[in-house]
Amino acid sequence: MTALTPVLSSRWAEPRSWTLETYESGGGYVALAKALKSAPADVIRVVKDSGLRGRGGAGFATAAKWGYLPPDDGGPRYLVVNADESEPGTCKDVPLLMASPHLLLEGLVIAAYATGVRQAFIYLRGEVVHVHRRLLQALDEARAKGYLGRNILGSGLDLEVTLHAGAGAYICGEETALLSSLEGYRGQPRLRPPYPAVSGLYSRPTIINNVETIASLPGILGRGAAWFASMGTRDAKGHAFFSLSGHVNRPGQYEAPFGITLRELIQAAGGMRPGRRLKFWTPGGSSSELLTVKHLDVPLDHESVGAVGSQLGTRGIQVFDDTACVVRAVARWTDFYRHESCGKCTPCREGTFWLTQVLDRIEKGKGTRADLDRLLETCTSIRGRSLCALGDGATMTIVSSLEHFKAEYAAHIDGHGCPFDPRQTALFSSPGAKEADA
Amino acid sequence: MTVKQEWAMTPPTVTAIIDGIRVTVPPGTLIIRAAESIGIEIPRFCDHPLLEPAGACRQCLVEIAEPGPDGKLRPYLKPQTSCSMVLTEGMVVRTQVTSKVAERAQRGIMELLLINHPLDCPVCDKGGECPLQNQAMTTGQADSRFTEAKRTFEKPLTLSTEILLDRERCILCQRCTRFSDQISGDPFIELQERGARSQVGAFDPEVLDFDGYAPTGLAAEDESGRPFSSYFSGNTIQICPVGALTSAGYRFRARPFDLVASPSIAGHDSSGSAIAIEHRRGKVLRVLAGNDPEVNEEWITDKDRFAFPWSSLDDRITRPLVRGEDGELREATWPEALARAADGLREAVSGARSKGVGVLPGGRVTLEDAYAYQKFARVVLGTNDVDARSRIAGDEEEAFLGSRVAGSGLGVTFADLEAAPVVALIGFEPEDEGGVVFLRLRKARGRQKVFTFAPFVSRGNAKLDATLVPTVPGLEGAALDSIRRGSGTVGDVFDGLSQEGAVLVVGERLAGVPGGFTAAVALADRTGARLAWIPRRAGERGAVEAGALPGLLPGGSSAQSAEAREGVARVWGVSGLPLAPGRAAYDILGLASSGGLSGLVVGGLTLSDLPKTLANGIAKAPFLVSLEVRLSDVTAHADVVFPVAPSSEKAGTFVNWEGRLRPFTAALQTSALSDHRVLDMLAREMGVTLGTPTVEAVTAELARIPIDDSLRPPPPSASGPSAAEAARRAKATTLATWHALIDQGSLQDGEPFLAGTARVPVARMSPATVAALGIEGRVLKVSGPGRGTISLPLAVTPGMVDGVVWLPMNSPGSTVARTLGVAHGDTVSVKGSES
Amino acid sequence: MTRADVPFVSNLPRKGAAGRFFAPVAGFGVTMRNIFRRPKTEQYPRQKLPTEPRYHGRHQLNRHPDGLEKCIGCELCAWACPADAIYVEADSNTPEAQYSPGERYGSVYQINYLRCIFCGLCIEACPTRALTMTNDYELQGPTREGLIYEKQDLLAPLAPGMLLAPHPMVPGTTDADYYRGDVTQAVRKQIDWVRENRPDDPSLPEVHHG
Repeated sequence: MTALTPVLSSRWAEPRSWTLETYESGGGYVALAKALKSAPADVIRVVKDSGLRGRGGAGFATAAKWGYLPPDDGGPRYLVVNADESEPGTCKDVPLLMASPHLLLEGLVIAAYATGVRQAFIYLRGEVVHVHRRLLQALDEARAKGYLGRNILGSGLDLEVTLHAGAGAYICGEETALLSSLEGYRGQPRLRPPYPAVSGLYSRPTIINNVETIASLPGILGRGAAWFASMGTRDAKGHAFFSLSGHVNRPGQYEAPFGITLRELIQAAGGMRPGRRLKFWTPGGSSSELLTVKHLDVPLDHESVGAVGSQLGTRGIQVFDDTACVVRAVARWTDFYRHESCGKCTPCREGTFWLTQVLDRIEKGKGTRADLDRLLETCTSIRGRSLCALGDGATMTIVSSLEHFKAEYAAHIDGHGCPFDPRQTALFSSPGAKEADA
Repeated sequence: MTVKQEWAMTPPTVTAIIDGIRVTVPPGTLIIRAAESIGIEIPRFCDHPLLEPAGACRQCLVEIAEPGPDGKLRPYLKPQTSCSMVLTEGMVVRTQVTSKVAERAQRGIMELLLINHPLDCPVCDKGGECPLQNQAMTTGQADSRFTEAKRTFEKPLTLSTEILLDRERCILCQRCTRFSDQISGDPFIELQERGARSQVGAFDPEVLDFDGYAPTGLAAEDESGRPFSSYFSGNTIQICPVGALTSAGYRFRARPFDLVASPSIAGHDSSGSAIAIEHRRGKVLRVLAGNDPEVNEEWITDKDRFAFPWSSLDDRITRPLVRGEDGELREATWPEALARAADGLREAVSGARSKGVGVLPGGRVTLEDAYAYQKFARVVLGTNDVDARSRIAGDEEEAFLGSRVAGSGLGVTFADLEAAPVVALIGFEPEDEGGVVFLRLRKARGRQKVFTFAPFVSRGNAKLDATLVPTVPGLEGAALDSIRRGSGTVGDVFDGLSQEGAVLVVGERLAGVPGGFTAAVALADRTGARLAWIPRRAGERGAVEAGALPGLLPGGSSAQSAEAREGVARVWGVSGLPLAPGRAAYDILGLASSGGLSGLVVGGLTLSDLPKTLANGIAKAPFLVSLEVRLSDVTAHADVVFPVAPSSEKAGTFVNWEGRLRPFTAALQTSALSDHRVLDMLAREMGVTLGTPTVEAVTAELARIPIDDSLRPPPPSASGPSAAEAARRAKATTLATWHALIDQGSLQDGEPFLAGTARVPVARMSPATVAALGIEGRVLKVSGPGRGTISLPLAVTPGMVDGVVWLPMNSPGSTVARTLGVAHGDTVSVKGSES
Repeated sequence: MTRADVPFVSNLPRKGAAGRFFAPVAGFGVTMRNIFRRPKTEQYPRQKLPTEPRYHGRHQLNRHPDGLEKCIGCELCAWACPADAIYVEADSNTPEAQYSPGERYGSVYQINYLRCIFCGLCIEACPTRALTMTNDYELQGPTREGLIYEKQDLLAPLAPGMLLAPHPMVPGTTDADYYRGDVTQAVRKQIDWVRENRPDDPSLPEVHHG
């Protein structure tokens, strides 16, 4: 049994946990002071030794990412925190920023110090106005206390942080689209190369890190790389948020080491709804292949999840029990991608438009067997052909659901309708809802 | 060390393998171009060689493997867009020709591109020349599997009076938006909405679903009602890979396979842009940009593209006209008209009370026509009074042209202009007066520093990030003289122009500034900068080369040099050339208006370009011969009118500002004659063999004209306005003015759609001047010494030189020369008004 | 031995005795067989017989059921024509003059019947079924100009319910509705429009008083 490891979330329950006072009383900004005393290269070494990997989905080694920055040429370089959390099923950054915004700010100063950045940006999802307000307040507190601004803690480090609210586009979570949006342009992915580390924001070297990645830094610097590396698996070290949603009794954020299994997480979340069995789940939000009961004991780390044909992504675990219609779920997800496609490249723009219509038809019982091939064919036309990963993400649940639940699609087609009762799927419904209604 | 030297000698190359074929290209070559070079065509839509890669359409996906650090080939996991990836050493590329993956990827993209395309090829203007249609036929599937509902838009969306957008056909390749942003600098169209609702559009409240928008401040001047206000917008139609963008003039008029395309040269400015005149059954239907990498690349101005109907309007002259006893013009036969003209001119030249005849060819003549006009003047009429510069033009400019321009061959080129580290502009507005010159300068933006000697930074100059050297109109000479080593802008200009390859561009307006050319030459000599004279009209450089200037003989030698006259006379087989110094165009007209001339021979001259007093000279001339395409103010006064051919109906040569010969042949075969042919016939009627019946005859004779640099006129040496004069001007309100690219010029007649894209005429003044003069109200009334007044909306322009008012030269409501009788640098009076 | 020395020998089968006997009158056999049958001769022009139903005759430019023209001026017929007999010019429909549904109509339409070979490729090319062939074969005339048929010569006559173009489309419809056959006749608004703009139009239905 893997134990939960609340690190970032350890103080969420404290009263007024978001204030600087509370944060400092729990040892906040101590790691920063410690980091500022060592050389930037040493900070990077500690991060490297800890094995910290990006928490934004791709799981790329953070220290290696920083290493791609070209040598300092005297011009500006930027650090951008990607707080545009919009993945269906993922809800870790928003509560983290609500509960302890200073964790991010402390990590931000450490990262800026390590990488020689003097101007950082936080690109926040625009819809979460309450988080925006809270971050603004935290920034004010930190500035007043000298944790931000000029000559931080007497170290000579200057750092300005600009908080930017997005305008409601999922695509702006993609790092190059985020940069375009931050520059004031239309939020559309850019061609790579050049990579942001070489030519990013305003064509200057830029690092883009996820909120959780940056927020993990104070812990690593404070308690040491060995402490961090002691958690997790061989290749995926440390603690991470697992966002459980759906048909479990206590959905929420579970902070655990990598390698924990879904079975353990469901147990921690109080099990499935009474009388219901797990049917399928997403390990990494909707941009990952569906997994089923067979995969309950797969260790949740990047490599193991990859080995069973899916991806860990942002650990947005959506759990569906046997009342859920997979066609309906996939149709909703696909509609999300159709709505969020930026429209720049053909496969994603036109493909999601088409997929939505076909899925909608199948769900309504008006599909044909040929539609199933058409879905797969169209997914083949999209996956790996689009400019960014949004197009890929749109196909993942479709292809995997057709692999695991083809019979269910066939049932929709042959039965001319959905065999499931959506009222039973609803979280507010009781197991006997259908009978009661009848 | 030899190895290193060898490396330096041979340009570096990259060798890779595409579809099993070894290909060697310069580093930085995109895969799609490298494939082209060995004959492998990868389908594409968003890719355009002159635009930055976008990777948007994804049609050009290919399989790629690249050697890793260990030298082993590493295949990319996904197919990559060949339009955005550079070929690297040792790369192995497999296109649709050899790769199933690439072929499948391209087929998939094509299917997806077509699902929302309306497939209305039968009604689409692009049908028959459409890249989407062609590639759908070659690489697409014959049957559609898409049975769902296509996305629809209301059609068409009017981007401007000229450009219409059909959003249903659009495949969102972004070529038009990228052109507008990267090339022309008019990013007034942009992608809107997202996903399948993505669409190109201007700032359209209806599309963006909000209201209450109205442009304010400076934006209001140009934007109100003209969302896509660009001089180069027509290029977006040509590069659109589908029929989404269409022009109002050509829309539904023809099919590509009806049209005969004749390569030609644009006659609207001095750039000599390559164009293709596309016509059907003797009627020009559209003009497209030609591809000439050395001159206009693939772009032309909207004027070059759309302003062609003028020559086929109802007032076209097809037969000679002769003024009858009743004082009315009537149609006549060629022999009758030639006899009348010959008699009249003979009387005017050698009659008892002869005061001589002047010749005004106009600024749009071809090299051959200009040559014929000046030879006609010097040989038949015995005068040096010939001047193709139908604008303010003086001896100083002539000295400049003779000493620096004429017969100098290819000088500063478009490529030089693009490569120049610093360009200074004087009396020249690149966007309004230079056409594609502007696009070349803009192409160099970021690598090039532009200085402009002007009273304010015009929109065109702003797009070049030009630095203003504040200059009072008329005192340009003083501004040039002030450029010395030192600090501030003045020092920056000096240092800039002293750099290797720097160019000083002088425009036509400097001719009206005493001491201007003298100062420009001095500055160029002082700094080592190269000089480029960029006139506005297409025929001016050719006229200089042909000697259609009073003081210049063909080949650039001075008409005052006996040796030069002798040399030319020998070629012409005449005993001698006239001795009396010739007069410039304005002086000829002035003389005519005071009764000082017995006759005039006039080519393409527009009276509305002239001050009224000079225009009267046309009416006052006792005998007037006009060679015109259409009925005009000049033909209204003419005694004999000969119909001549517009450039689409004749062969000839324009010499562009670079000095590059731009020969063209007749696009339309008609019976219309060139000016040089008509003059040859007229000369024969008068008993002289002019020897200009054909282009070939003129070319052969021009080649025999001796060129001797020692016989050139001396360089200009004129002094600018005196200190007292300058001080007087400092107190007065001075007029700055130039022609907008799209205005009321007679060659733009008959094209209302183009006229609709012109910029709104405004009067400009600095805030301080408005305050100092106590101007109130939204309208500025400008008046000159005469009675006329121009009233235009006042645009208060921050950063403008104080004491200056700017008006467009010949735009609706602002005909400066005709109404005010003043020119650039003259003093005017202004007052404010509410309406 | 030379060629001329070989005597001529026919390789036809040699006839028997009876054959040889009737040989002089055998040529009348066909005549004899047909002399008692009904004659096939058509008494054109006194008597005009119908052609086969799919006979390729004069072309016709069809109309939509409300009278708008089907031709969109796409020139595909001209393109398909192997004899270069068709000339088309298109133009934009405007709110003041709507000739066909959609944006484009054929403003000039000519078929030169001195060139036409009646192959029917133009019919196959037509994307809107605007161009079809009638059975009319009486194409003759004393002048060359007269055999170049203009658009007004080729347009189908108005059927009941049709109004002479130009007039607006049925309100609320698009060209797609026309192609789907959803428009069945001219509606009140179209009739009113024509009545207002061309009061004397012969295609207007008679006004019923009272």
